[in-house]
Amino acid sequence: MRKLAIALALGLLFAGMLYLAFGGSRQDPNELIIWTQDFAPGRVVLDSLLAKFSRENPGLLAKQIYYETEELRSNYIIAGLGGSGPDLVYGPADMVGPLHVMGLIQPYDSLLHAEELANFDPMALVRYQGHLYLLADRIGNHLTLVYNKKILPVPPRTTAELLEIGSRLSRDLNGDGKYDTYALAWNFVEPFFFIPFLGGYGGWVMDDQARPTLNTEATIRASKFITLLRERKIVPFECDLDLANQLFKQGKAAMVINGPWSWGGYIDAGVDIGLARIPQVSETGLWPTPMVSATGYCLNANLTGERRAKAIQLLRFLTAPENVLRYTYALRAIPSRQEARRDSIFVKDPLLLSSQDQLSVGRPMPIAPEMRAIWDAMRPAYQSLLNGRLTPEQAALKMQTDAEKLIREMFAD
Amino acid sequence: MNATALAQNFRENRLAYLYILPSFLVLGFVVLYPFLYNIVISFSNMSLSHFLDWRFVGLEQYRKVFTEPLFYVLFLKTLLWTAVNLFFHVTIGVFLALLLNRPLPGRALFRTLLILPWAVPQYITALTWRGMFNYEFGAINLIMQQVFNLAPVQWLSDPFWAYTAATLTNIWLGFPFMMVIALGGLQSIPRELYEAADVDGASAWQQFWTITAPLLKPVMVPAITLGVIWTFNNFNVIWLVSDGGKPADSTHILVSFVYRQVFNYYRYGYAAALSLVIFGILLAFGIRFIRQTKATEAVY
Repeated sequence: MRKLAIALALGLLFAGMLYLAFGGSRQDPNELIIWTQDFAPGRVVLDSLLAKFSRENPGLLAKQIYYETEELRSNYIIAGLGGSGPDLVYGPADMVGPLHVMGLIQPYDSLLHAEELANFDPMALVRYQGHLYLLADRIGNHLTLVYNKKILPVPPRTTAELLEIGSRLSRDLNGDGKYDTYALAWNFVEPFFFIPFLGGYGGWVMDDQARPTLNTEATIRASKFITLLRERKIVPFECDLDLANQLFKQGKAAMVINGPWSWGGYIDAGVDIGLARIPQVSETGLWPTPMVSATGYCLNANLTGERRAKAIQLLRFLTAPENVLRYTYALRAIPSRQEARRDSIFVKDPLLLSSQDQLSVGRPMPIAPEMRAIWDAMRPAYQSLLNGRLTPEQAALKMQTDAEKLIREMFAD
Repeated sequence: MNATALAQNFRENRLAYLYILPSFLVLGFVVLYPFLYNIVISFSNMSLSHFLDWRFVGLEQYRKVFTEPLFYVLFLKTLLWTAVNLFFHVTIGVFLALLLNRPLPGRALFRTLLILPWAVPQYITALTWRGMFNYEFGAINLIMQQVFNLAPVQWLSDPFWAYTAATLTNIWLGFPFMMVIALGGLQSIPRELYEAADVDGASAWQQFWTITAPLLKPVMVPAITLGVIWTFNNFNVIWLVSDGGKPADSTHILVSFVYRQVFNYYRYGYAAALSLVIFGILLAFGIRFIRQTKATEAVY
């Protein structure tokens, strides 16, 4: 009898394990899941929207699960391989390329009507190879010049002004031979921050066929400008994102180049910030071109039938004008719906107006999967340029040859 | 054990087998299945463009691993990384254990303080060290300049110094484990052996090499084996201190390189093959090292 009880208990344990392993992950048909990489203030807004959706649609429960950007992509790929994953996946437009090539997202073409898409900003409708794969709730995500109004009431409009102002603001205050304040700081680690300057010298990362275009005169001249800023100590010798933020928050950097994700932190730290365009390149007369991307929702390729219809219902709700506007109020984000931009906040909020002004000279971030190889090819060469191991000419050549090699490897059989 | 004896053993210990079955099942799901799947993938062309429609390509991915010169460069760097780290982990760990094994005042406090680097979550330590290695504002360069009047070093932007910075961080993180193991081993050595050696007139140095070292060996060899495997595969420190292999992907060891191939370049087949090569290297090392050092044999 005792052995029977033990055997029964073990049997129940096995059954429980098998349920957890194979049955426990089966989704509730009335529970919709979104995986998101949005930063914390954005997730707060999403939470309130999901609660509203669940209230308005009794019987349906929508939830979000947060992952850091890289983790989101890798987990989604793994889940997709196993035929599962969330209903909607939220992230920047450049996730479309790889996820499309892997067959893990499905197009909205037959699921959304042309008339309901008409009011979206064209940049918010992210297409790849002619099919709509991402519907954005926000556009922008672009770098701007952020300045501390107390230190610098009027930001430089051109690079010549930047050099002139920079030499006044970068100073050794205590005479120990080390600079205590800098005019400008930005994250030197990521080539994303190099892109505006590349555009300002007339270059770009790839052509229409997604072939890298990095070994150009524009790359060389942009690189020379950045090294000049360092040589003149207008920017720190080494600087990552954390340090740039710290210097700016402590008033040790008068300006910083950063995106909308950073503004809230600066305001919370008590910095009286203003936004402006990254200064026009005096040599070319061109405005720097930060990459502009939409962020929005892709539909899991594994969804079919009624579940897919419910996911589309949720998508329509999340991209409705009144709902995307919530992000504008909370984050100063630019909504994907043109209708939403008629709101009064767009005529009275200086941050939002400046952000839109910078956006107007930005360029959309390419969504082809080759972009990933280009980032990874640019990063080492850019870092070697900054630490003095490569000349601008060598860095441009290395970016190009590495990008071509990585693209070959990524698409190799 | 032949089949009859095995069956007899199973009948006699049925309940014991039943009890360990759940853990075998769990291990099967979380270790064995992924491992076997990795082997399968390593013979395939699974990649960005062949993710769901992959096919078997035989030894092609292994050919790529062994024909890429970068593999040998990374292998040598990984060996150097492992050897340097282990050398300092063991020497510092044993040295401190010998000191802490003496009747010092406040010994418990010293032990606690010396275990702290191990107790703090690794990523916090790694990120803290990264901050301290900053060229202009980091504590290391400030101390070097202000206390020792030395020139600042480009810890994070020069490949050699970035590799050194990661190594220093990992030495800091690794010595407490060896110290704790060595201390446990030292405390298990019978005092009578040292008393007898004293009577025979053996010097402290002779006592160390004839009593301490041989009796510490059975404790330290498995710890060193583990240390080699952990350090060889220590992804966290390299990734966090050098921020993903920076500058210029120059600080990668094999395991961080594999991560980049998988999660940045979607080269699943290639990365699976490289992972198995790493596994093979460590397996061969583990077997060879334990046999060579006779670590599993009793000493007294």
